[in-house]
Amino acid sequence: MSVAYGHVVAVHDATFSIGEGEAVAIIGPNGNGKSSILMGIAGLVARRGDVRIFGTGAPPRNVMWTARHGLTLVPERRQLYPNLSAADNIILGCYSWTRSVHKARASDAYAFALDLFPDLRPHLRQAAGTLSGGQQQMVAIARGLAAAPRILAVDEPCLGLAEVVSKRVYEALARVHSAGTTLIVVEEVPRRALEICTRRVEVRNGIAA
Amino acid sequence: MITLRPKTQARAALLSRQGSLGGTVATTGLVVVVGIAVMLLFGQQYAGSVIILAFTYAIVTAGMAVQIGFSQQIAFSQAVFMGLGAYGVALLNAHTGMSSLLAAPVVTVGSGLVALLLGSVVTRVSGLALAVATIMLPLLATGYVSSANYLGGSVGMPLTSNLWSGATPGATVVGDGIVTVAVLGIVVFAATRILSSDIGLELYVLGVDERTAAAMGVPTARRKLELFVLGSMFAGLGGAVYAGTQLFVPATLVSPTAELSLLMMLFVGGRRSILGAIVGALAIQYVSGASSWVSNNILVVEGVLITVVLLVDPEGLAGIAATLTARVRGRPAGRGVVADAVVAAEPGVPAEATAPAAGRQASDFGRTWADRAGGEDRPGAPLLECAGIDKDYGGLQVLDKVTLALPPRGIFGLCGPNGAGKSTLLGVIGGSISASGGQVLLGGADVTRMAPQQRFHLGVSRTFQAVHLIHGRSVLDNVAVSCLGAHRPGIAAGIVRSRLAEARGKAAEALDYLGMGGLSGQEVSGLTLESQRMVEFARAIAAKPRLLLLDEPTSGLSEPQRDRLKDVLRTVGEMTCVLLVEHDLTLVAQISQKIYVLATGGLVFEGTPDEFRQSEVVNSLLVGL
Amino acid sequence: MKLGNLLIAGLVTGSIYAVFAVCVAVWYRVSNILNLAVGDFAMTGALGVDYLYRVRGWPLPLSIVGTLAVVAVFGYVYDQVVLRLAQDGRRRQEGIVITFFFTFALSFFIDGVAKILFGTDVHAAPALWNGNSLTVAGNLHIERAGVLVLGCAVVSGVMFALYIRYTLSGKAMEASGENNLGARIVGIDTRRYRRIIFVITAVLAAIFGIVESPITGFTYISGATISVTGFIAAAYGGFRSPGRALLAGLVIGIAEALLGGYVSAEYADTLLYAILAALVLARPRALGFESAIGA
Repeated sequence: MSVAYGHVVAVHDATFSIGEGEAVAIIGPNGNGKSSILMGIAGLVARRGDVRIFGTGAPPRNVMWTARHGLTLVPERRQLYPNLSAADNIILGCYSWTRSVHKARASDAYAFALDLFPDLRPHLRQAAGTLSGGQQQMVAIARGLAAAPRILAVDEPCLGLAEVVSKRVYEALARVHSAGTTLIVVEEVPRRALEICTRRVEVRNGIAA
Repeated sequence: MITLRPKTQARAALLSRQGSLGGTVATTGLVVVVGIAVMLLFGQQYAGSVIILAFTYAIVTAGMAVQIGFSQQIAFSQAVFMGLGAYGVALLNAHTGMSSLLAAPVVTVGSGLVALLLGSVVTRVSGLALAVATIMLPLLATGYVSSANYLGGSVGMPLTSNLWSGATPGATVVGDGIVTVAVLGIVVFAATRILSSDIGLELYVLGVDERTAAAMGVPTARRKLELFVLGSMFAGLGGAVYAGTQLFVPATLVSPTAELSLLMMLFVGGRRSILGAIVGALAIQYVSGASSWVSNNILVVEGVLITVVLLVDPEGLAGIAATLTARVRGRPAGRGVVADAVVAAEPGVPAEATAPAAGRQASDFGRTWADRAGGEDRPGAPLLECAGIDKDYGGLQVLDKVTLALPPRGIFGLCGPNGAGKSTLLGVIGGSISASGGQVLLGGADVTRMAPQQRFHLGVSRTFQAVHLIHGRSVLDNVAVSCLGAHRPGIAAGIVRSRLAEARGKAAEALDYLGMGGLSGQEVSGLTLESQRMVEFARAIAAKPRLLLLDEPTSGLSEPQRDRLKDVLRTVGEMTCVLLVEHDLTLVAQISQKIYVLATGGLVFEGTPDEFRQSEVVNSLLVGL
Repeated sequence: MKLGNLLIAGLVTGSIYAVFAVCVAVWYRVSNILNLAVGDFAMTGALGVDYLYRVRGWPLPLSIVGTLAVVAVFGYVYDQVVLRLAQDGRRRQEGIVITFFFTFALSFFIDGVAKILFGTDVHAAPALWNGNSLTVAGNLHIERAGVLVLGCAVVSGVMFALYIRYTLSGKAMEASGENNLGARIVGIDTRRYRRIIFVITAVLAAIFGIVESPITGFTYISGATISVTGFIAAAYGGFRSPGRALLAGLVIGIAEALLGGYVSAEYADTLLYAILAALVLARPRALGFESAIGA
């Protein structure tokens, strides 16, 4: 798989596979292509080469397709809906598998997502844009989980977060993994990710190893 | 080398060339010569008055390019001022017999005065609020004019005095046209001079981000008012020329449709380019008059034309022209692998940035900075004092009785969990956020109510979490923004002289000091994140501040990049006082002499790095052990 | 009773403004584009029905359906061709240009086509509910068309509000406007929502044009004033809240009627605009605008 922005090649013929139930950390220095790999897989940016999710070829540049086929991305910088409440943000994660608010609220996925972050309880009605960075990251992950994904891909979960919050985020991710979801984490600080991940893919200069 | 988007590199080059007086004269000369040639060639025919009309609109749109193009603020006021100028000339002509030529400067000054009054109210708001407030203007004007008999009601006012009276009607038209072109030349000259001066640089930053501009000392409120007045004066002048050449002022001149047409001309031509604005006016007028089928169906044609042009390039025809010139010049080398780019494209920063501190101190820049900081010392007294700072946003208490004192030199860390209020505290110290309670003292003086610009000139400089550099301009120019000097002249001074060269000189000194001299000519959007942050850092220190506020400078940087920044900070900390908001606790502990910890708005810890590492409060809060 | 009748007249014109304001606000919420061509769609509705019914002799219901169908198809095509290129292509356009200018250009285009098709005279679609004005509660009169207008306004307002608050699809629509990337990540087809809402607002505007045209005649350039008023009313709703836009439209309509009745019929509009402008300048934040720093 290759990803290029204009003339600049960010990812150069990356080839690897991830088995179900694994937890993989994609690490490497900044600006070397880690996020681009993830975005290429998820379909946020144009790519060349093949990406297959559970055996089915994913169309390039179609993040909605991947969301509906089991891979949910929690993007860098969260990308929440600032004027909607935290609860609404999370419940929209269910959009990929239902259109009914009732079914979404009653679902296991939604309950699990809320359960993972008890700190968010008092803030559920608050507009997402007014939450602190750490709380926003929790909402973003919860939204990803509400989609009941088989693969959860997280891009830089701890960007801009204080140490203690990062720990909690990783604890949550560990729980997600032990519940059976496949994890792909892009991390700039290897130490944290490797605590919970079984495999690593190092990306240097756009080439994955 | 990282490949740059060709268009922005070309623009940057173009801008530095235009910076000179020679460049301005060349541009003006081009416009005037072409205009006169066109008039002489085609003036005698019917097309003559249409061409004049086109040039008249060009006068207005050139002014709009300055007012709207750079400030990102749409004000729907130009048609009204054009009407003011036109009706003004007609009235003076009718009641005092003053010739149009004489009346033109009179009404221009009058427009300026009205704009000053209106602008001081209107420019208090920005963005959509500004648009909504000013969209009423054409409606109000149309309503007033339609009922005003002395203005000819809903029909309009005739005139008898041409700008230029010639022996024959043909000669009159040509004469009118030449005068119009001359006026256009004056407008182009003035506008280009301003934009390529140091004031132009201020306007660019203002357009990028008002908060950053204010923090770098740009008098934002004043500039916004000046832009409004300038644009309005040019519009009034255009209106005067309109009256003197068309000999009739229709009431529709101030209608919403007219305002819309002006905006269309600007955007089709290219809102950020004076030449583009002129071309836009000419293009649309040409199309309107092209054939009778077109003029009957002008609405359809304009609708389609504008849509197509804007789809191709939001910067309009000027943007399309820039892309074509870049292509003609040939793109830089094709698909380069990022590998080489990332490793190679940080010239200046790695090697020189780790130069020994002694080498730095010895440089002029370092010496004058140290002198400045030293000279203003009150021995033993703190440089910065925050006394009981409170900040609440309608019930949400973000800062709670924060008190601290910092000496004139050293590095001090400010840490805390997210939402603790660290950036807010920096904002209160820097002036972009006003405290709800408490005091901020700088060198003993109470600055609590001072605007960020004033604090900047007193020696407070800061960086923000998100990098806000001016795209399309070089590193040197981006740094030069903070070197413009304390006493900012009015916008008109930009026509007379430009202090940009001096500012660039100072910026170059700062860049050399940081070992980034090699980057100065590069256009900023092609730089890596680390380099962009360093440019922002250079901008912050170029003014040799007494107090440097840094907001998460290492965010997004890798290990080796952080190490480099650490070295730079250590050196800088010997010269001035640095307050550093950071999440990287290791880095903070390594370089700070004292660390403050903020949690839910209040200070919960202050002490040395050793105490910090051992403190229980800190460990549970930040490290989670 | 003069006050009562003025209030009712104000409510009717107010609901016209309100509906257009809602169209502008809702669409801005979804797409971050200001649809400044709403008035022109309204004009197309009115003049289209008039043309089909009076000139071509079609039966009234067919004229209405025909006109609405044309508006819907046109809206769909415009989205597919222009908006898709502008927003979905490689270089996504944001900021001033797309917010204002594409629909400015669209309104020019529609007006031009209308001029060709319908000529330059003033026309009106036939009243849908014929008869004299109704008398309510003693001395209050209201035009039948006015009742329709009010009814449509209330119904559409309520439906929108319910849709947004209580259905997942409605929330998804909002999310599309809040953060396009964030919405796509959860599988929301933002392009489809944008298209749907554009077509719905165009058709809604056209319906309103048909319903209210017995009250005010239309000519090919009437659209601009309506669009501007819709824009202003939506602005007072902060551009995002349909509910507030609705309220703002009603208030503006009532204010206009009261000013006209009690102060001066000639300068009512002028005064109204002056007051509105002053409000925005004095208290931008209270109205939901972000104002300049230091203010």
